[in-house]
Amino acid sequence: MTKRKFFLKMIATSLMRRRSRMLVALLAIAVGATILSGLVTIYYDVPRQMGAQFRNYGANMIFLASSNDANFTMEKVEQATALIDDGELVGVAPFRYESVLIHEQPIVAAGTNMEGAKATSPYWYINGEWPDERGEILIGEDEATYLGLKLGDRFTMTYAADEGQLAENGTTQAATLDMTVVGILETGGSEEEYVYISMEDLEALAGTEGDLDVVELSVSATQAQLSAYVDAISQRVPEIAPRLVKRVTESESTVLTKLQALVFLVTAVVLVLTMICVATTMTAVVTERRREIGLRKALGASDRSIIGEFMGEGLLLGGIGGLIGSGLGFAFAQAVSVNVFSSSITFQAWLLPLTVIVSILVTGLACLLPVRSATEVDPALVLKGE
Amino acid sequence: MFLRMIRGAFTRQWKKMLMIALTIALGASLATAMLNVMLDVGDKVAQELKTYGANITVVPKSTSVLSNLYELEDGEAVSDEYLLESELGKIKTIFWAFNIVDYAPFIDTEVTLPSGAEAQMVGSWFNHHMALDTGETLDTGIQNLRTWWDITDGSWLDEQSGAGEDVCMIGTLLAQREGVGAGDTLRVQTQYGVKELTVVGVFDSGGDEDEQIFAPLDTVQALSDTDGCVASIEVSALTTPDNELAEKAAKDPSSLSIKDYETWYCTAYVSSICYQIQEVITDSVASPVRQVADSEGAILEKTELLMVLITILSLIGSALGITNLVTASVMERSNEIGLLKAIGATDGRISALVLTEVMITGIIGAVIGYFAGFGFAQIIGHTVFGSAIEMKLMVIPIVAILTLAVTLAGSIPAIRMLLRLRPAEVLHGR
Repeated sequence: MTKRKFFLKMIATSLMRRRSRMLVALLAIAVGATILSGLVTIYYDVPRQMGAQFRNYGANMIFLASSNDANFTMEKVEQATALIDDGELVGVAPFRYESVLIHEQPIVAAGTNMEGAKATSPYWYINGEWPDERGEILIGEDEATYLGLKLGDRFTMTYAADEGQLAENGTTQAATLDMTVVGILETGGSEEEYVYISMEDLEALAGTEGDLDVVELSVSATQAQLSAYVDAISQRVPEIAPRLVKRVTESESTVLTKLQALVFLVTAVVLVLTMICVATTMTAVVTERRREIGLRKALGASDRSIIGEFMGEGLLLGGIGGLIGSGLGFAFAQAVSVNVFSSSITFQAWLLPLTVIVSILVTGLACLLPVRSATEVDPALVLKGE
Repeated sequence: MFLRMIRGAFTRQWKKMLMIALTIALGASLATAMLNVMLDVGDKVAQELKTYGANITVVPKSTSVLSNLYELEDGEAVSDEYLLESELGKIKTIFWAFNIVDYAPFIDTEVTLPSGAEAQMVGSWFNHHMALDTGETLDTGIQNLRTWWDITDGSWLDEQSGAGEDVCMIGTLLAQREGVGAGDTLRVQTQYGVKELTVVGVFDSGGDEDEQIFAPLDTVQALSDTDGCVASIEVSALTTPDNELAEKAAKDPSSLSIKDYETWYCTAYVSSICYQIQEVITDSVASPVRQVADSEGAILEKTELLMVLITILSLIGSALGITNLVTASVMERSNEIGLLKAIGATDGRISALVLTEVMITGIIGAVIGYFAGFGFAQIIGHTVFGSAIEMKLMVIPIVAILTLAVTLAGSIPAIRMLLRLRPAEVLHGR
């Protein structure tokens, strides 16, 4: 039997025979490793997940025409949004504003893409439904009160254009459209002062197509990344002047930094305490084997071989515990992510070796100290039971 | 005899006992720290979210119908309705006054600049000092409500420095167009008068405000002949995320039963705070700014849930850690137990002896752990939020029960195993 085989056999039998004690130690290491990998995964995923939550605040970037005669159309907007990473783009809502007459009152009507508006302004509270067909209109609460309109009311909307504009379009009669109120919009902000119709309706009313006034974008990215997008877009698509909505971006980065710091510190505290727990468990396991160490010394084993064997056991336990823990930790992080953010988490491959290495290190260190002090003991004293 | 044996265990085996106490203390401190942080994180994050600005706006009843859209027609009986400046202090007297973090009144007017251009001038509080009837004092204003403003030139307007009324701050776009910077004077004119204002600072707001001039409330009131009037109030309040009750109440508070009404009124929902503001400010309509109020609710909820789950993980972790070590250290004493059995001790007495020892150690450990954990919570609070974590009394019973339960859970299987031992075998050293 070679020396190495003997070494392995000793470790294996030691683990097998003292099964229950080793299971206890293994459990401690696995729990520690679970917490390590679980929390670190969450820590790395929090900014992404929380960032998505912050998109509730609505658009954080707007596109404007870079100059009055710039060709600011949907194609240009598509060129610009192509520069933004698909996964980060939450929503794009183009807006075009025109004056219209409802019950002979001048009102500003916004033409938009309702799907886009739903994505960029999740905080819009709609009494009724979102318009999804032409001829349906969403009315701001202020205007609804002012005009005395209720859900389901029908009316005719006229394009408020002066004669010169009409002549340009080649007619003398301002265009009209029949509209049905399907929703009343409540935001507590200036949005309540407008009425919203589909872009096609507004274009039909105004007689011109393609022009936009402003485009709202909701992008889930860090402030630095947003600034990079702004630079890239203003260079590549000169017709568009992108601007960040500072109120949203600045506040978001402040709060997000704090949240990440919170998870970081909590992770650190939990980790330190768990590591100490693992270490104390290992220390206890080793300390109670002083008799065995004494016996082996009496039989002539060198300190080095004793330390080597104990360390081998510890490292094996650490490795297995780390592996189990990585799996459980990922499962935990996944459960948290699904429950809290209802989206799944990305697997951080580098966490697996990290967890295993840290578990091995902690277990190794926890074994080393008591084994060393045990080897310094006189075998005769230990064996006699003093 | 029983007591003497216990005392003996602690005096002679203090190293082992210390080990158990230490593990329990570690587990308990982890539980305490996490529970304290978890219970306080909602308030702390809510405070941070205040950087998004006001979540409630208050406007006069009739202008809430006609709105800023018709600003251009100013003077034609459109914006004739105002709120009273003298009533502003009352906002701090409502039931949820403590939750009102900041607020500022606004009034605006069109002014003509020396270049002939028109600009909108807004009067407000910057860092207004208020002495309330209740004896409290409060510094509030847009310095707190516009945290995202970048001061590109000069500084924030300081109302308390005694700089007088003839000062203003100007938006960066307007400043560039008019060619003024900090320290320059700007002549503004309206049909009611002319003023020479000193520009204290230029700000970049990234929004419409970049085209506006901000000046103290009195200055703008004088320029628009609206002494004692304000056009709107922005209020930043700490609120509880809305639930079904709050949504129902927001539609019509009178539809609630008396009990529900009381619950609603006495909970810091954004709708109940709005309702209470309307009660104290004459002819006003207070409405939540949904962009801010809704998002706050969503983020708070997610953060709290996240912390609850992390707390549960660490509680499980510390419970397993404690159980492990208690089991290990009780089993270690097989020799001693064998001897006790050999000289005739009953199972009941042995269990009582071991349990008492472990429990005493557990209590000592838990007390140390509680204070250590509270310290950890404070470290987290100060580093992350720059303020202390509130001590929640309900954490004490939770930690006590948890420690007790896991210590018991750790010792009982070990004791049962010990009782099954045969004294002869143990003492023989097998």
